[in-house]
Amino acid sequence: MTPDAHTLLEFKNVTRRFLLPQGEVTVIEDISFKALEGEFITIVGPSGAGKSTLLRMMNGLLAPSSGEVRYNGVTQKGINFETAMVFQNFGLLPWLTVSQNIELGLGARSKDAAYRKSQVNRYITKVGLEGYEEAYPRELSGGMKQRVGLARALAVEPSLLLMDEPFSSLDVLTSINLRNELLDIWSDRDNVVNTMIMVTHNIEEAIELSDRILILSNRPGKIAGELKVDLPRPRRKRDPLFSEYVDRVFSLLA
Amino acid sequence: MKHAALPEIGISQILGLVELLAGKGGREDIYKLAGELSMELGETLAVIKAAETLGLVHTPGGDVVVEDFGNKVVDASITDRKDLIRGKLAELPLFKTIHDYLAREEGTEVTREEMLEKLAELIPNEDAEASFSSIVSWGRYSELFGYNDDSQTFYLGESRAG
Repeated sequence: MTPDAHTLLEFKNVTRRFLLPQGEVTVIEDISFKALEGEFITIVGPSGAGKSTLLRMMNGLLAPSSGEVRYNGVTQKGINFETAMVFQNFGLLPWLTVSQNIELGLGARSKDAAYRKSQVNRYITKVGLEGYEEAYPRELSGGMKQRVGLARALAVEPSLLLMDEPFSSLDVLTSINLRNELLDIWSDRDNVVNTMIMVTHNIEEAIELSDRILILSNRPGKIAGELKVDLPRPRRKRDPLFSEYVDRVFSLLA
Repeated sequence: MKHAALPEIGISQILGLVELLAGKGGREDIYKLAGELSMELGETLAVIKAAETLGLVHTPGGDVVVEDFGNKVVDASITDRKDLIRGKLAELPLFKTIHDYLAREEGTEVTREEMLEKLAELIPNEDAEASFSSIVSWGRYSELFGYNDDSQTFYLGESRAG
């Protein structure tokens, strides 16, 4: 990332309200930030801070109540097909095989079956899933399921990859492995996507992975602070500087 | 040939363990590790044993130490890792025997039932159903053989079911 990097996504004074039986609730209030091309941003905050709502405004599934979401300088209206999402609970269809699950997202974007098949194969290889092509989700471990979720998102070659707590339903060792592999994929210049935004409640995960952390406050979600993580990768938890960052995020959350 | 059951642990957990240890300088006390991971000691030992079966770590005394092969795997790309581990798996007696069995039966279908019988014969003291699922997942990971759950049959190389 260079200082004059291109702004890919911009939130300008975005507020989102929902109408609930007990009245109108403001979930996101006056959030402004920019995501630069090539950046890995994490968003941390307590549960209920509106992290998932933020992600759904990034991919255009939800519109802001006020304010503006801009993508490549253009005001976003409707679903943004340049983004793809990885979900906490993988979002796989149980009656489809690994290959068919990965092809799902491509179906909406290309009618060319040969192209879809070559994309599926390319990203199966990228995430290390060769051999699992015709397995069903029920036959897979959590780690393999999330590789399918990742391959499905990558296969559409988004310019921005969005992730909603992608490792939080995995066991501790599997999540270590997938975090490392995600960093490999992020830094692989062969891949189209090099900009990532990930929501997490795990502070150490945010420091380990991202260039910049946005810290959300609770109800309504506002940006309580922003932290640039200036540590070389791979980042180790035992590094005293790492612990300093943990302390700083905690103090901004408090 | 003595057949030991395959580890009933997924590859992601094993890789995660080796990556974690490599980040700690390659060595850790097993009991301490289990505490730090908030994992039961038995569960931690199962992952360590699986990593040891694949030649990624060894366990002198109460410690777990990353082998040179383990460091090589950690440093490798996602695709190269698969190749390295495939090589190790292919050397495991149970895996070799099953591969040879499938090669002999090539052209005829080896069903789930037949594989369960074969496993009961090869590793009589193990739970064949549990070993079955690890045979399937390790077979797939290494790409040495595959299994189609629709037809409940094993195959070598590319799927014939398509």
